[in-house]
Amino acid sequence: MGRYLLSLKRFWATALAGQLEYQANMLIDLLAMVGSLAGSIFVLSLFFGQGRELGGWSWEAALVVQGIYTFLDGVSSTWLRPNLSAIVTHVREGTLDFVLLKPIDSQFWVSLRIMAPAGLPEIGLGLVLIVWAASRAGASLSLGTSLVAVLMLFVGGVILYALWFVIAATSIWFVKTWNATEVLRAVLASGRFPVSAYPPTLRLVFTLVLPVAFLTTVPAEVILGRAAMPMLVLGLFLAVLFFLGSRAFWLFALRYYTSASS
Amino acid sequence: MKIAGLSWPVVRALLVSQHANMVQYRAEIALWALSGVLPFIMLSLWSQSDAGASFGFKGVGLARYYLSAFMVRQFSVVWVVFAFEEDALLGRLSPFLLQPLHPLWRYVAAHVAERVTRFPFSVGIAAIFFLLYPTSFWLPSLGQFLLAFLAILLAFSINFLLQSLIAALCFWSEKASALERLLLIPYLYCSGWLVPLAAFPDAARTASFWTPFPYLIDFPARVLAGLPVDLVAGFAAQLFWLTLLLPLVLMAWRAGVRRYTAMGA
Amino acid sequence: MIEVEQLSKTYQVADKTPGFVGTFNHFFRRKTRDVQAVRDVSFTIERGEMVGFLGANGAGKTTTLKMLCGLIHPSAGKVHVAGYLPQRRQAAFLKQITLVMGQKQQLIWDLPPLDSLSVNAAVYGIGEKEARYRINELAEMLEIGEELTRPVRKLSLGQRMKAELLAALLHRPSVLFLDEPTLGLDVNAQARVRSFLADYNRRTGATVLLTSHYMADITALCSRVLLIHQGELIHDGALDALAASLSPFRQVRLELNSSASPEDFVGYGELEALDDRAVRLLVSRSELTVVVARLLANFDVLDLEVNDPPIDELIGSLFRKGRVV
Repeated sequence: MGRYLLSLKRFWATALAGQLEYQANMLIDLLAMVGSLAGSIFVLSLFFGQGRELGGWSWEAALVVQGIYTFLDGVSSTWLRPNLSAIVTHVREGTLDFVLLKPIDSQFWVSLRIMAPAGLPEIGLGLVLIVWAASRAGASLSLGTSLVAVLMLFVGGVILYALWFVIAATSIWFVKTWNATEVLRAVLASGRFPVSAYPPTLRLVFTLVLPVAFLTTVPAEVILGRAAMPMLVLGLFLAVLFFLGSRAFWLFALRYYTSASS
Repeated sequence: MKIAGLSWPVVRALLVSQHANMVQYRAEIALWALSGVLPFIMLSLWSQSDAGASFGFKGVGLARYYLSAFMVRQFSVVWVVFAFEEDALLGRLSPFLLQPLHPLWRYVAAHVAERVTRFPFSVGIAAIFFLLYPTSFWLPSLGQFLLAFLAILLAFSINFLLQSLIAALCFWSEKASALERLLLIPYLYCSGWLVPLAAFPDAARTASFWTPFPYLIDFPARVLAGLPVDLVAGFAAQLFWLTLLLPLVLMAWRAGVRRYTAMGA
Repeated sequence: MIEVEQLSKTYQVADKTPGFVGTFNHFFRRKTRDVQAVRDVSFTIERGEMVGFLGANGAGKTTTLKMLCGLIHPSAGKVHVAGYLPQRRQAAFLKQITLVMGQKQQLIWDLPPLDSLSVNAAVYGIGEKEARYRINELAEMLEIGEELTRPVRKLSLGQRMKAELLAALLHRPSVLFLDEPTLGLDVNAQARVRSFLADYNRRTGATVLLTSHYMADITALCSRVLLIHQGELIHDGALDALAASLSPFRQVRLELNSSASPEDFVGYGELEALDDRAVRLLVSRSELTVVVARLLANFDVLDLEVNDPPIDELIGSLFRKGRVV
């Protein structure tokens, strides 16, 4: 375990050093981040006004959902997207062999090897928005609910990770996965809004098939003190299921890789 | 007759070869077509909210608007910056520059060929939409269809020139391609791709109409959906942006190529 | 150290018509045929041996090497390396071996090698002090120093290969698999890599299995060679025995002042290629001096070069004549 922690520390230290080598696009990344948050809050605002609600959510409560979406988007840009696109490169250039010969779990390596600091401000911005909107919405956080909120954010992160990872792992068969990740991103964008704002069939899809609900809506409900116990249990169950699924899929992909590649 | 190195045999050869190339990527293109589902997600939100009533068209009109926005995007999306970056990275650019044909024509041909390949997938998604939402079904009249075709063609051209301008800036700075990401943000929010401009507050709508973005989705989508629209003003604005961008792009490319060859890269 | 018994690898190659429809059909009605990449290969390598692994491209060298590392699962037969079953890729096994591939690199492109080394040290569980000691020791043997603090992208190919070797050997593996470790290097860098490998083997008693396109690598390092052809092991023994049958010739390249015809070279050796004024001859080693002197005397020679023919070509010519099989 200590070896894994130390490895993680070295991974991110070198990744950071690598990024600073070209500390280019920092300003553009920041602008893009602020611009897209402003735009998406603008779109959200169009649904409100004149005392209207969106799927039973007040303006401030819906902003908590936006904040969680921003936070998770930051997590994706910091860890998920760069690592998972590196898998594609590993497969294309044949350097996956080096990873497989390291005495360390290969899924650990390919999932966490890189960290892109450009996504960190977005994580911070998301957190600020969550706290600000939650206090405006009149949420009072006890230690207990805070812990549950952190747990449910983690659950959301795990589900998000598993979805991304499975798509990236398919690169062992199909070298290009860029378009498949675009489809995933488009669908995940539905997480900018509380799931109860969608028609009933979509609500069901977003809860059970592509559990977008657990990425943003459920953690927001916990923070706002309106979460239902069964949803929390279902979320935990799905997170475990999705994580184990991603694990099984990776091992399956590797079995194919080690029996069919040349 | 030749325009910037273009003659009929060249056009044919380019289109045939690019089409053969695109057919190889059918699965990719199908996925890409699918990744344009965002308008449908937005539509499902509006359908549950009474906020839609405030801007005039709801129900069937709104469904037709979003389906049209989806179609317009399918046929006006452009990826010149990415193709250009890849070509520059893999060293394919230098041979292109040596040929007696403006390199941009090659990208135009690739896009046209991709549209042809994509067509059945887009129509398939539209068919599924009508199956799920049968009351929204409509067929534009021939005149409407031709006008919409023209509007989409002009929207594609504006998009193409915008991206070509950024691609040309890549001759000067490696970071220029990041501008594409910045440009995408006003495109997303001001074009009518996520929300029809009619839903905007007056000030935001007026401001948006000073940018080229509403003429890329909102205007052609309204024409296609048969919604009330000022045809003369829309086409005039599209032509205005085209005549503004075209000389800029050509100048930037000429200067960029001169710079590129001077550095001998 | 390495035991291989009747090792075979069969790939299922799909006959798929290209395109979307082809993929679709392929998904439901799979038509495959078997390709035997490695057939019934058996050998044993003792601790500390340095063995050369020869064969033309596609002969099955890399497949065998990857099976020994555990990157490819065998279809049949047994492999034991350092007492482990490679395909399980247990951590204890992976700490004993290393794989160096001349055409692929594990170092991070934008960072100095030292950063990659620190990652490897953590992954292999080597303490910081110990890692520093080992890096210094290996750097001294490899004759690199300040290159380790320069970004990899700024290093020459030879410097990069040395740094790759350092990264691959930091955990002190006892079995080294080297796939074309000198590919693309200039003659000096090749020689240095060679002498390092010999030195490393002498100092640590590591077992080395090496493939190379350059005969000189094999002659300098390996007293024993395995020759593989179309997936089968057809020679296992001393290099001398193979060299005598494989490479009794040297290659003479000539550039003439005027064009020549094939008949002109009857009696000098075997004519490999003739393109107007560029000539390539295979000349028996024992007659080389005499033949070169005669060539210089009888032709208007602009340029003359004597080489060992590349192993691939040699093996190719060998099989064409059916001398080995």
